[in-house]
Amino acid sequence: MKRVYGVAIKMVLASLALVFVAGGAGADVYVQCPGDTDGDGVIDDFTDPELLAHPNAVCMHITGGDGFINMADTTVTGGARGRQLYMFGFADVTGVPPLDVIDEGTTAAWYPGPLIELDEGDEFYLSLTNVGMARRPDLDDPHTVHWHGYADASPAFDGLPDVSISIHMGGTLTYYYQANEPGTYMYHCHVEATEHMQMGMLANLYVNAAQNDLPDGTNLNGFIHHTGYEYAYNDGDGSTYYDVDFPLQLSSMDPEFHDASESTQPLPFALMNDTYAMLNGRGYPETVNTAELANTENGVVSQRENALVEANVGDKVLLRISNLSITEYFTLMSPQIPMRIVGTGARELRGTGGADLSYLTNSVNLGGGEAFDAILDTADVAPGTYFIYTSNLNFLSNNTEERGGIMTEIHINP
Amino acid sequence: MKTATDTALRHVSALRRIGISILMLAGLLIGGTAQAVITGTTGVNFNLTAKEGYVSMGDGATIYMWGYALNGGPAQLPGPTLIVNEGDVVTVTLTNDLAEAVSITFPGQADVVTTGADSQGYLAGEAAASGGEVTYTFTASNPGTYQYHSGSNVALQIEMGLAGALVVRPNAMNQAYDSPSTAFHQEYLFFLQEMDPHIHTAVEAGETPDLTNRQAQYWMINGRSGPDTFFADGVPWLPNQPYGAMARTHPNEKVLMRVVGAGLDLHPFHTHGQNFRVIARDGRMRETIPGLSGADAGISDFTLTVAPGQTYDAIWSWEGKNLGWDIFGHAPGDPCEASAEECDPASPYYDHGKPIPVTLPEQQFLTFGGFWSGSPFLGQEGALPPGEGGLNLDGGFFYMWHSHAEEELCNYDIFPGGMMTMMIVEAPGVPIP
Repeated sequence: MKRVYGVAIKMVLASLALVFVAGGAGADVYVQCPGDTDGDGVIDDFTDPELLAHPNAVCMHITGGDGFINMADTTVTGGARGRQLYMFGFADVTGVPPLDVIDEGTTAAWYPGPLIELDEGDEFYLSLTNVGMARRPDLDDPHTVHWHGYADASPAFDGLPDVSISIHMGGTLTYYYQANEPGTYMYHCHVEATEHMQMGMLANLYVNAAQNDLPDGTNLNGFIHHTGYEYAYNDGDGSTYYDVDFPLQLSSMDPEFHDASESTQPLPFALMNDTYAMLNGRGYPETVNTAELANTENGVVSQRENALVEANVGDKVLLRISNLSITEYFTLMSPQIPMRIVGTGARELRGTGGADLSYLTNSVNLGGGEAFDAILDTADVAPGTYFIYTSNLNFLSNNTEERGGIMTEIHINP
Repeated sequence: MKTATDTALRHVSALRRIGISILMLAGLLIGGTAQAVITGTTGVNFNLTAKEGYVSMGDGATIYMWGYALNGGPAQLPGPTLIVNEGDVVTVTLTNDLAEAVSITFPGQADVVTTGADSQGYLAGEAAASGGEVTYTFTASNPGTYQYHSGSNVALQIEMGLAGALVVRPNAMNQAYDSPSTAFHQEYLFFLQEMDPHIHTAVEAGETPDLTNRQAQYWMINGRSGPDTFFADGVPWLPNQPYGAMARTHPNEKVLMRVVGAGLDLHPFHTHGQNFRVIARDGRMRETIPGLSGADAGISDFTLTVAPGQTYDAIWSWEGKNLGWDIFGHAPGDPCEASAEECDPASPYYDHGKPIPVTLPEQQFLTFGGFWSGSPFLGQEGALPPGEGGLNLDGGFFYMWHSHAEEELCNYDIFPGGMMTMMIVEAPGVPIP
C-alpha cells in the first residue's frame, strides 16, 4: 500500500512537472535557471543536463515594483528615520518559492536595488518579475532591466522598451547575459526612464576580472600573481590590483516628485529638482551606518547597502563609482587620499596600443550613466577617518538639512 | 504613470502612421552613396544670414528662435553644417537680419581674419543690426569636428540658436583625420543643444528675457527633440530643422560619431549597444606620439560628457559577438554569414548555431516597443499581436543614444522626447542609403 502511494505521488509529481514545463514562459512567476528544480532561482540539481551544458550559470530573481524608503534628514523629522518617500524599485527574491513572490514582493522594493556582482565568464540568468505597484493600483507599468554598458548588447536583453519587450505585472522575463567584460557597470529600469529612475529603479552592477583566477605564481610582466589577488581589469601587469573594493553609486531624488507620485498627482517633470543626494541610496550620516534599514511605512528592510569604506593601512582600495542621478553632474572628491583612475565605462584606461591612460586625482566628475574605477593607495596613510564627498557643496545636505548628502567615510585601520 | 504611457503610445502610433515614410524619405534624400555621410553644405564660400524663425519641438510646441540661414533660406537650428577640406581657405559672409548686432566665432580655427565688421562684439567682429554684413576668412588647417557660434550677446544668442557645426575633412577619404586609425564606414553628427522656452517667448514678445534664471526644458540633437530626431533630413514639416539624427550601420562597421556640445549645459551622452572609443577632442587626435601613433590615446566608454563648446570624435562598432547565442538565429547546420570568429569553433566568440538559453515570455505577458521586430534575431521578423511593432522594416537592432540625464528625455513636461535618437544596426546586406 505504501509502495503504491509512493508511485502515485511520483506520478502526480511527474504530471505536475509536465504542467510546469508545458506552462513554460507562460506561467505567471516563472524563473528560468539551469539546475533549479523548484522555480525559486536557486540551483539545487547539479546533475541537471541543462546546468551541465551551462556550467557557469549564475541565477538571480528580482522583482520590479514599489515600496518606501526614508531619507537621512532625522534632525528635521526628529525621529529615528528621516522623511519617508514612496518609490519604485527592485528587490531580491532569489530563493523565494514562486507562489510567494508576489506576496513578498508587494510594496517591498529596495533602494538601491540588489547589488549584482558577477565573475567574468559567468552566464547570468536574471529573472525579473513585475509585482505591480500596489500603492498605485491605477498604474499598470511594465518594467525592464537595462544592464548599462553591456558590450554588444542585443535589444532583446537590453531593456529599452521602445525597441524591445518589457514585462507586465504578474509576469517574469528572464534575461540572459554572458559576463564578457570585467568592470564597473550599473543597471536600471528603462521603462519611462525619467519617471522610473527618479522613483528609484537603479542599482550597482560589476564584473570581476578573470585575471583573479590565474594560477598561483603566474608572472604578469614582473608582477607575481598569488591566489586571492584581485584586479579591477585584466591588466597584464598587476596595475589594477586591489585588496578591498566598494561600489559607490551616486544618485538623487526630488521629494516633490515622489510625493506627487504617491498621491496620484501629475508628475512635475519640468520642475524636477533633486534635493536629496545619496551614495548607495543613503545620505550622510546614514552612508556610514552599516545596519540594514527598515522603512517607516511597512517595516520592509528597503535600504540594505551602506557606503562606508573600511581598509587596513597599506591596502589598495578600489572604489567602483557610478552615477545614476537623472538630473545632476556630481564631482566626487577624496581630498586626503588621492585616487588613481584606472577605468572608465567598464574598460581599463588604456589606449588602443596599450598606453597607460590612468591618472592620479583627488576628484572625478560624473554625469548620469558614467562610471569610474578609482584605486586609493593607503600605504602612506595614517590610521584614522577620512572623507569622500561631493564638491558640489550644495549637495552636502539632505534636502533642507545641512550636513548630509553625498559624503561617506574611509576608515583606515592600523 | 498613466499619462506618460498614453503619451508614449500616442507618439508610437503617430510614428507608425508615418514610419514607412521615414525610411523612404531617408532613402530619397541621402540616397546615391554607398554610405551615410553627414548632411551639410560643402564648398569654401558660405553666405549665412542671421534671422528669425520658428522651430517645432517633439511635443508640438512652436518656438521662436534665431538661427543662421544658408543663402537666404530659412533660419536653421542648428546653423548649416559647413563641410570643408583640410587646407581650404574658407570665407563666411554673414548678413544680419536681426534687430541686434550679431557675429560668428570659430573656436579651434587659427588666424580668422574679419573684414567689414561694423563693430567689435565680445568674441568676434559684428554685423550691425538690420542689414549689416561682415566677412570671416580662415584656413582650415586641421581636420576635425568643430563648431561655430555667435560671439555677440552670447548668453542670449546661443540660447536663441545661433550655432552650427563645422567639419574639416582630411585629405584621405573616409577618415576623420590624417591617420588610418580614424577610418570609418559611416559617420553621423550629434549636435547637442538645449533651450529654455520662456526666454524665447520673452524675446518674441519684445521683452527683456531673464537669463539669470535659465532652466532648459527642451533638449535637442541636430536641432530636433525626440521623437522628431527619427525623421529624415529635410522633411517638409520641419523647415527650420533640416537635420535628422537617426543613425544606421551594419555589424562590424566603424561608425564615426562627431559629437558637439553646443548649448550652455553639460550632457552625458550614452550609447546603448556598445562602448565607443574616443579618437579626438576639439579637433585634435588623441595620440601618444603626435603624428606617428595614430589615435591610440582615447578612452573607451559608454557615456560621454559633452561640455559646452567641446567636440569629440569617437568610433563605435557593434559586433554582436560573445553573447552565448547566435545573434542571427542560425540552426547548427546553417551556413555562416557573419564574422569568421562567430563561425570558428576555436574562437572564444563562437556562437554559431547556439540557441538562446532562455525562453522569452508569451505575448500576453509583454509590452512591445514600436521598434521591436518580434524576433530577437538580427534581420528577422517575428509574429506580433495586431497593432504592435511595425517601425522596424528590416529586423534591425535599435539602440537608443541619449542623454543619460533622463530629465532631458522630456519635451517640457512630457515624457518621452528630448535628447534621444536611435542607432540602428541593420542586418548584413540591408542597404543603408
